[in-house]
Amino acid sequence: MAVTAVSGAEIRRPVPRLRRLEDERWLAMALLFPTALLLGLFIAYPFIEGVLLSVTNQRVGIPGEFVGLDNFVKIWNDSIFRTTVWNTFWYTAVTTVFKLALGLWLAMLLNRHFKGKALVRAFILLPFIIPTVLSTFAWKWMFDPTFSVINWTLFQLGLITARINWLGDPDLAMTSIIVVNIWRGVPFFAISLLAGLQTISPELNEAAAIDGARPWNRFWYVTWPLLLPVTMVVMLFSVIQTFADFQLVYVMTGGGPANATHLFATYAYQLGIGTGLLSEGAAISLAMFPFLLIIVVVQLLYIRRVETR
Amino acid sequence: MVETKRRNVIKLAGSAAALASTGMAGILASGRTPAFAQQKTVHWLKWVDFVPATDQMFTKDMVPAAEKALGIKIKLETVNGNDLQPRITSSIQSGAGPDIIMSFNSFTHLYANSVVDMSDLAEDLSKREGGLYKYARAICSDGKMFMGVPWAVIGGMIAYRKSWLEEAGATKFPDNWEDYRALAKKLKAKGRPFGQTLGHTFGDAPGFTYPYLWSWGGKEVEADGKTVVINTKETIESVKFMTGLWKDGMDEGGLAWDDTNNNRAFLSQTISATLNGASIYIESLRKPEQYQTEKGKPLNTDILHAPLPKGPAGQFGFHLLQSNMLMKYSKNQDAAKEFLKYLHTEANYRKFFESQKGFATPCTAKWESDKLWDADPVMTPYKVAAKLGQAIGFAGPPNAKAQEVLSKYIVTDMYAKAVQGMPAEESVKWAESELKKVYV
Amino acid sequence: MIEGALWRKWVFYNIPLILFVFVLLFPFYWMIITTFRPDGELYRPWNAANYMPFWTNHPTIEHIQYLFEETNFGRWMFNTMFIAMVSTLISLFCGVLAGYALARLNFPYAGSLGTVIFVTYLVPQTLLFIPLAQIIRNFELGDTPWSLILTYPTFLIPFCTWLMMGYFKAIPKELEECARIDGASRWKAMVYIIIPVAVPGILSSGIIAFTLSWNEFIYALVFLSSPDQKTVPVGVTSELIRGDVFFWGPLMAGALLGSIPVAIVYSFFVEHYVSGLTGSVKG
Repeated sequence: MAVTAVSGAEIRRPVPRLRRLEDERWLAMALLFPTALLLGLFIAYPFIEGVLLSVTNQRVGIPGEFVGLDNFVKIWNDSIFRTTVWNTFWYTAVTTVFKLALGLWLAMLLNRHFKGKALVRAFILLPFIIPTVLSTFAWKWMFDPTFSVINWTLFQLGLITARINWLGDPDLAMTSIIVVNIWRGVPFFAISLLAGLQTISPELNEAAAIDGARPWNRFWYVTWPLLLPVTMVVMLFSVIQTFADFQLVYVMTGGGPANATHLFATYAYQLGIGTGLLSEGAAISLAMFPFLLIIVVVQLLYIRRVETR
Repeated sequence: MVETKRRNVIKLAGSAAALASTGMAGILASGRTPAFAQQKTVHWLKWVDFVPATDQMFTKDMVPAAEKALGIKIKLETVNGNDLQPRITSSIQSGAGPDIIMSFNSFTHLYANSVVDMSDLAEDLSKREGGLYKYARAICSDGKMFMGVPWAVIGGMIAYRKSWLEEAGATKFPDNWEDYRALAKKLKAKGRPFGQTLGHTFGDAPGFTYPYLWSWGGKEVEADGKTVVINTKETIESVKFMTGLWKDGMDEGGLAWDDTNNNRAFLSQTISATLNGASIYIESLRKPEQYQTEKGKPLNTDILHAPLPKGPAGQFGFHLLQSNMLMKYSKNQDAAKEFLKYLHTEANYRKFFESQKGFATPCTAKWESDKLWDADPVMTPYKVAAKLGQAIGFAGPPNAKAQEVLSKYIVTDMYAKAVQGMPAEESVKWAESELKKVYV
Repeated sequence: MIEGALWRKWVFYNIPLILFVFVLLFPFYWMIITTFRPDGELYRPWNAANYMPFWTNHPTIEHIQYLFEETNFGRWMFNTMFIAMVSTLISLFCGVLAGYALARLNFPYAGSLGTVIFVTYLVPQTLLFIPLAQIIRNFELGDTPWSLILTYPTFLIPFCTWLMMGYFKAIPKELEECARIDGASRWKAMVYIIIPVAVPGILSSGIIAFTLSWNEFIYALVFLSSPDQKTVPVGVTSELIRGDVFFWGPLMAGALLGSIPVAIVYSFFVEHYVSGLTGSVKG
């Protein structure tokens, strides 16, 4: 006993607790603990509460009763809601495609040595850094029907003869918010993909170059597959954020003109907060869920497939 | 940043020193905790006032005076008017938050279950000040209780350019829609259209479309508050007229405007008339050298105000009515009530009223004859703003359902859709189906 | 790049890059001009003869003065900075550990746990802030920075976790195995081998998390009430939008001053993570 204790004290480098961490399951649990704690405290309850809210008829300050899926039936028959669904899909799809393409392009442009590299890389992030509410006010000023600098520029370039009513026309209003979202999102894609590009060893590319692969082929067969996991995650988050976008539309158009730019979040806010119909607002927010879930599952499956390849 | 920091530091040092010299001595002398530690705090959440002088008056003058007079602490918080509702909602749902919250329009009805009856204060106010206007009563009371104490009305009147109208042959602002349209057409031909918003914005859009609808004889629901009656000849007529009016005489950017755009358009001299609070005029008074007419005169000498034109069914107005709600969850209801009483004593309310220079119209008849209105004839039309007002939901009550219609912009969108090219009958039908979903 | 003539470099790299920079930064130039533009020049319609969008002959600093003297802007900056920093650190800590566990360890339900963490990110803030207000109240965190520091991780952790999973997966398994054969424990392999390799990923998720909390609006609006507790987005919009008048100059000054310092800080980071990286991948 005594002997083992002494020698044990000497070689007690890997403490028993740490030794337990050699077991993958224990280690995993330890590593996941802080996350589980925070999310459990701060999101589990609100989430359940939100779901419960959507199956009652609660209004603000008035406890509700269980009404089953009535709220969902109601919003399904709501023409504004249907417009909202279409708007959200269109908005998400268009912005995501552009953000990915432009972001990837920008990441490739940034992934090399040039003068002022650090400065450019950081300042390119500005659209993403600046608080959305404030940058959207600046854009609103630029799209303002009376003062639009964009109209002035186009006019000076001889491209238009009369003003363009950017936020007043339903299609142009949608285009405008799409443009602003892309402007905000490209830096996010670029910087994340840039980090991804940098984890790819340059030797791989050099080797391929020596083997005579053209730049496009090198990108397609070497870079792109290695970049794919990061790309998919970035895209996943971007899609979700765009789908649930709120501030931009809220400030820019408030969902107008005539609901042409309402998204899920703005409409849910309008109903839940504006009219106190908390339950219906919750139902609209939750209606996002199945749509998002489909998108997410498809992307996750794709990520898995890519990884096992 | 240096400046603010330094000032804060000085403030901090100052209060610390004060505490050390008098406070500590006081504590030691009396042998108990100082009174201010037991003081009740009343938290008042209001909109950030359009007139900065008013907020300054509150923070520098009224609040310290009230703290002294009432022996309470007052925490005054101001937020952007648009952001009041999320604050109210989360406060009510979590049962904690500001004790007194400023309400816009029918918020009172929306949050009726969560506020304390203020009948005593409101009736007292009414008695003292020559009677509450019908409009204020309809919005703040449901017949059984007062959900808020009426504070003020931000009146909406048409601001117009005197000289431009004269050049187009009009000596005064048109008082019916036909003349309004004819004049707008003339002025638009000269590149000086009228301007109005049909966007999703809480002030000017319903401020125009609701009275417009009513003046044509349209109404969303019968007095029973259940039967939707929007789909009538009168409404369709009004929609058709609006479409024509829009093409003939309006600045077409208006579909996208929020409450601020028409101010800017007017001040930059691109429109000749718009429905608005007095803010355009007040801004032009604030900086006369900045806003000048094309002839080099101060713009404020060329602005006049007029009520919205009459229609076949009469003349109406819809204004932003503000009231103060005392919240049920508040733990300091007595102190908060005292504070509200304090605000509404004549001398104190006058300070507020005068700092507003007519931007806010009081809710009681007495102030109509105040000499402030004579001080500036341009502002005189606003003195009856609250009197002409009619509450939303007409002919039904301005209850939560009417508020839902307002928040969904159904009436405004009915016009916006038609202006964007939807046939009048169809857009009215759309509004009808939406209204029916609200008034079930 | 290695191959190609000078013109090639310009056509394929420099010109597109310049275009990108121009488009992305144009609104900032616009904000700068608006910040320094005297109010008198502001209200000129776009088709007026004296409309001068890109220049002003009478620059003024009165808007910046207004921002610092009439509002609590300095204080808001400090609050925002503090809240964003602490919540980012918390989220990174959780996210890196969880991301490592989910990406590189085998344990039952790893996949579904990852999905659960992910699903929490799907919950829209517009739904959450009301019930969350109750929790904040129960913990008596209302009107303190902690109300945001502890709630921001709810949307930052899922994000960091998943981003880190992506980066961890891109690191070859062999790296770890080599270390383990050399006798390192799992814990050590993680801390000394894998995490250093993932530094660029950590930095970039840190940057993004910091930015997201820097940007957040609704929670900050609802959970804070004292004027000197507010963050930049909430403070600026609630002080500088008065009724139906925007204070454009100070508003734009606030937007600029609320973002450019952060960009400058980032520029140091960016440099760092590039150099930190070249050493590690080859290891």
